[in-house]
Amino acid sequence: MSKKLKTNLAAYGMVLPAFMVVMLTVTYPIISAVIQSFKDEKTGSFTFSNYTYFFTEPAQLKNLLYTLMVVFLTVFIAIFVAYLLALYLRFVKSKIAKTIGTLYLLPRFVPAMCAVYAMITIIRDSGLIHRIGALFGLDITLGLMYHASGIIIMNLWFNIPFAAMMITAGLGAIPDSIIEGARDVGAGRWKTFTSMILPLSVKDVVIASTFVFMTNVGSFTTPYLMGGNAPKMLGIALFDQFNKYLAYNRSAALSVIMFLICSVSAGVYIYTNLKEQDWEK
Amino acid sequence: MKFRKASALALATVMAASLMVGCGSKKEEAASSDAAAADGGKQTVTLWATGSENVNQIYETLIEEFNNNSQYADQYQVELKFMLSGTGTQALTDMLVAASKAGQKDTDYDVVDLSGDDLSKIVAQMGEEQLVKLDAAKIPNAAGVTAKSSIAADYVQPFRGTTVVLAYDSEAVANPPQTLADLEQWMKDNPGRFAYNQPGTGGAGDSFARTTVYNLIDDPTAITSADESWMEKWDPGFAKLAELNEYMYQSGGSHVYPAKNQGTLDLLNQGDIDMCPNWADMILSQRANGEIKDTIKITQLTDYPLTGSFQTLCIPTFGSHEDGAYAFIDFMLSKEAQTILVHDMAAIPLIDASGIDMTGYEDVADLDTSKFRIMSIGDLGTSFNERWDNEIATIG
Repeated sequence: MSKKLKTNLAAYGMVLPAFMVVMLTVTYPIISAVIQSFKDEKTGSFTFSNYTYFFTEPAQLKNLLYTLMVVFLTVFIAIFVAYLLALYLRFVKSKIAKTIGTLYLLPRFVPAMCAVYAMITIIRDSGLIHRIGALFGLDITLGLMYHASGIIIMNLWFNIPFAAMMITAGLGAIPDSIIEGARDVGAGRWKTFTSMILPLSVKDVVIASTFVFMTNVGSFTTPYLMGGNAPKMLGIALFDQFNKYLAYNRSAALSVIMFLICSVSAGVYIYTNLKEQDWEK
Repeated sequence: MKFRKASALALATVMAASLMVGCGSKKEEAASSDAAAADGGKQTVTLWATGSENVNQIYETLIEEFNNNSQYADQYQVELKFMLSGTGTQALTDMLVAASKAGQKDTDYDVVDLSGDDLSKIVAQMGEEQLVKLDAAKIPNAAGVTAKSSIAADYVQPFRGTTVVLAYDSEAVANPPQTLADLEQWMKDNPGRFAYNQPGTGGAGDSFARTTVYNLIDDPTAITSADESWMEKWDPGFAKLAELNEYMYQSGGSHVYPAKNQGTLDLLNQGDIDMCPNWADMILSQRANGEIKDTIKITQLTDYPLTGSFQTLCIPTFGSHEDGAYAFIDFMLSKEAQTILVHDMAAIPLIDASGIDMTGYEDVADLDTSKFRIMSIGDLGTSFNERWDNEIATIG
């Protein structure tokens, strides 16, 4: 056996366990779900009806649009706030900034279930805010529970720290010398931002957006506990199809639809990463 | 190459060790049960049950009582095999059916706690004659028990009851509704103060929605039938649910049916609503633990009660210790066991409550198990939930 072949075999041997796990737990289920999604529930013959159901049934179509609305709003607001936070943490050197820099990651260590219940206790119509208002004779009912706005607020709680973490890392990689250089040739703050900082951090913004997008498309806990009855987010609609109606073929079709929605985002992520390599040449 | 040899050696050692440990523990187990048999000739009876963690805990308490203090303590010893719901519920029924179909004999399925959907499932899949037809003479404590299961009545022994009731905040509702007509009038007079949980997410909402529909079907047998022809008779009931929608709890500009039994109970406890259907045992045990307000009380409609159910025990014919199983069933209907069930899980006792200390659980004594309406519509429940989601949830 040549030495090269040996090294190659050893390398394949090391990759093999991980490869098998991925094939068995990711690739195989995806393939079988795709196959199942084209099968008729009763006869098992080929059909598109599992897909057309989600695009023609008014309630299901609403679920789809509702999910996209909630997810896009979450992405836009989370990224906007996270970007401002990241700028602040990068360029302001004060004790307060340092403290915030340590504290803003805390939400990531709170279990999702606890966080959702904590939020419910505060924002529900008879919750903490209502009670504080009552002390001053005000009748504050926010109407956030069982409504898209409540879900979005909770999503922001989860996603702003995450997005800020990614963007802060990106901004941290911009050397001070670049900014000083721009200032030296007479660029104002706004000009420095638009022509230096923003272009240099846009890649991190896009990547953070794709991650926030993908994690929210299939979210379950938050919409299950805080969302209304209709329309529902797709994670809940999938749960209904699978656990409540026992419609396994339709569940498979909905899974594929969610997978496709996420793969658009994954495509953007891969494209952004490739572009960087191109630019670095 | 050296590394390979060493790793092969290490792997072989680990495998050999695990083999030995495996055998060792098995031997030990066998030895210990032999020892138990030798020790005063006690037989070990295996009890199988499934449910949530509180059911597990109560069985631990009951078995400790049985093994140490009951009249059977010197003859039998019960061992619990518990499967936490959500992880293994499917498995227990499947395991029983598999054992039955494979023609196994002398298994350790000595006595099994099975009710509701699980019971109807095994009766449908293996037949009730795979369970021992119960001999009343061997369960003397059951003499005064009138509760009967709606499925396989001669083959299973009910030992506790629970029912969906109306829970209300007595500070807000002075005179709780007595009849269905009262309840509807109350909803109309107090819009936004009633909620039931979304069917399919908890039994209380299921019971409310289904009884509302079946109350309008003029045939008392419909409620225990899984025949698809009844689906055609659902229309008036769904129209009624749609009509009631506008009097339901509102949040964020639309009418809301929270997820899970606990969802409505939380709303009631927070004062967002004044009344909701819920499980009697859930309300009373949470109230006894101080988790919900003392002012929350329960009541039942007299003319169209919300549905209840019995938890039952059965003895598969392919188990090994029939006499021990009878002994445990008899113990479960003793005053001591029923007292534990009342105090630890606010269960409705099936024996005469006068012998039981009901302090703190007086409400339970008022729930008359002889008036229980038991619902079993089998697979129709799936279609029911889907129709509810499409027609009622979408009204907004």
